[in-house]
Amino acid sequence: MKWIPNFNSSNSLRVIFVIAVFILLFLSSIAYKHNQDLNESSKLVMHTYEINIQLERLMSAIKDAETGQRGYIITRNGRFLAPYLYSRDKVNASFITLKKLTADNPIQQRNLENLFKLIIQRFVSFENCLKYSDPKTYDKRKLDNYMFGGRILMENIRFQVDKMNDIEKKYLENRLKIYDQEISLSPIFSISLFLTALTFILLAYRQISRDFERLKVFNKKLLISSGLMAESEIIGKFSTWQWDLDSNKIDYSDNQFRILGVEPNSFVPEKETFLDFVHPDDKDAVAASMQGIIEKKNLPFIYYKIARPDHEIRHFKSTGKLLTDQQGSKILLGINFDITDEHLLNIELQERNRELEKSNKELASFNHVASHDLQEPLRKIQTFISRVSDADKAVMSDSAREYLSKIESSAKRMRVLIDDLLLFSRTNTTKKEFIKSNLNELLENAESELTEIIHEKKAVITATKLPKLDVIPYQIEQLFINLIGNSLKYSQPGRIPEIIVESEKVLSAAYPDLLEQTTKKFHKITFSDNGMGFDPQFKETIFVLFQRLHSKTDYPGTGIGLAICKKIVENHKGHILADSIPGKGSVFTVFLPD
Amino acid sequence: MQKNALYILLADDDEDDRLFFKDAFEEIKIQTNVDFVHDGMQLMDHLNDPENKLPDILFLDLNMPKKTGKECLIEIKKTERLKNIIIAIYSTSSSEEDIEDTFIQGANIYIKKPSDFNTLKKIINEVVTVNWHYHTSGLNRDNFLLRLK
Repeated sequence: MKWIPNFNSSNSLRVIFVIAVFILLFLSSIAYKHNQDLNESSKLVMHTYEINIQLERLMSAIKDAETGQRGYIITRNGRFLAPYLYSRDKVNASFITLKKLTADNPIQQRNLENLFKLIIQRFVSFENCLKYSDPKTYDKRKLDNYMFGGRILMENIRFQVDKMNDIEKKYLENRLKIYDQEISLSPIFSISLFLTALTFILLAYRQISRDFERLKVFNKKLLISSGLMAESEIIGKFSTWQWDLDSNKIDYSDNQFRILGVEPNSFVPEKETFLDFVHPDDKDAVAASMQGIIEKKNLPFIYYKIARPDHEIRHFKSTGKLLTDQQGSKILLGINFDITDEHLLNIELQERNRELEKSNKELASFNHVASHDLQEPLRKIQTFISRVSDADKAVMSDSAREYLSKIESSAKRMRVLIDDLLLFSRTNTTKKEFIKSNLNELLENAESELTEIIHEKKAVITATKLPKLDVIPYQIEQLFINLIGNSLKYSQPGRIPEIIVESEKVLSAAYPDLLEQTTKKFHKITFSDNGMGFDPQFKETIFVLFQRLHSKTDYPGTGIGLAICKKIVENHKGHILADSIPGKGSVFTVFLPD
Repeated sequence: MQKNALYILLADDDEDDRLFFKDAFEEIKIQTNVDFVHDGMQLMDHLNDPENKLPDILFLDLNMPKKTGKECLIEIKKTERLKNIIIAIYSTSSSEEDIEDTFIQGANIYIKKPSDFNTLKKIINEVVTVNWHYHTSGLNRDNFLLRLK
């Protein structure tokens, strides 16, 4: 359904928002991870320092033991031995703590074991020093050896502690370096992500404000068009209604109320309310067709009557269609036309048509009367006259013979008149069957019809190529007979009649006053003769019925022939013209549509 | 009634026409028996009576009271015993419609009543001397309407 404007942007807006939300979620997860990492690294630093402190404590305990022992050896005072005695416990306590701290590091554990072995050796060396420094067991050489060995052991211990400290430091440095790398990468990344999210949000904002502008424009247009619609409904005497099949809500346009003869919005329309206005005669039909729309999805025009509250009867024509809007809900759109004026006009037209048909029938019966009943007595008169034999005439008086001959010629004239009149009326009333015909053939037929007079006058008829046209063949033949017959009849005494028939294609635009402009091309067929011609002031009147330019005695005729020509050409939606130069000849021009 | 003479039947309600017809047959030099009926009903009664001899040629006026010539024509052509009678339409009318209708319904020839006694004699002479078997087999719309040369 294209009848509701489409706002495509809502989809892109949705996409922009989803992207922005994902970016923000991503950003916050990165920030969380940073926090975790920082936490981790500070713990790591603490761990390293703790190991460092414990190792230093271990060191200082051994140094205390060493110092105490030296003091005792020099002074032999037992008070100096106290730190030495405590130091063993201190070493053990530190050692246990260190073992715990390095539990996750096998290398440090091994180093720690080595350190412990060295420390035990150191304490053994202490014991030996004490033993050989004792006056009872004094041995200067051994004491010197052990003292010196203790010195070396101390250096080894120092070395081992430094090594462990170094490992921890290096480990810490590595870890910190990794974190530093991660942290140094992420700020740029997160700032750019943040900027992207910001861009998306800005884009979304721009889209929203643009949509809003468009909405405003559409809204304005909608207001204008609904105003125009309402106005045109009033002018055009029609109305619309919508029935939302999903929500079962029915909306009438203002004019719907008006054409029902009530004030706009004077009631809330429901499914059955409309039927209340329908004339009782048509109620069933309208109800059935309303049901039909839902099944067939559209409604062919229905015609019915409406009874307004003030009892005025109006004639309605309605149609409808089932539409599906963008949201997929089904809406039944109906249009009602108040066609009362047209209906009344139609009735009048029908009345006139009936009258016309009646008068046509009368004309046909006149035709019948003319062909049968009028001819009958005339034929009798003529036959009876023919039965008066020459022998009978011989015994008549001169005047009686004269009268008889006058009766005979009058009856003859009467016959010609009736025949011509019949021909004229048949030109109009007989069925008009258009058949594609070669006009040259029809012209030949006409010539053979006129053979006698052509021979008698030694006339020369020249014809160029004529077109093939959709015509009523016998009428065109009659047209040719009448035109050529006319030329032959009014030929110049003492001059051989020459008739030239020519044809050419012309555009109707070249004859705006004469020809029907809806047909573009016409065939202009001219009949030129060298006859006596006529005064051009009569070029219009010669086509009028019973109009004659010559006396009956000079040129017998009824004045119907050219009227028939005009009628035939009119039957073919063409035009006929006549022109002449008296004494030189006449030209009859027939225009026939292509 | 002369034997071997052509038996002619004319159905026409007009007394004068019957008179002209009778006189014309008397003046031509062909042996004929001519009978008359005055309307369509009488015609059909005459033809349907098995006692009566069927005519060699039936001249049929179209405009008759009680039963028109066209109705008679249709009835005759529907009746097995009568359908081979040679029928000459003999009418005042020269309307295309009448000529077309009677041709379609199977009449053999169409004669427009002439307004001259001598012409009538010529027509009658022509019609009774035509070789009908030959004429009927070559019957078409163009030679249906009798025209005298």
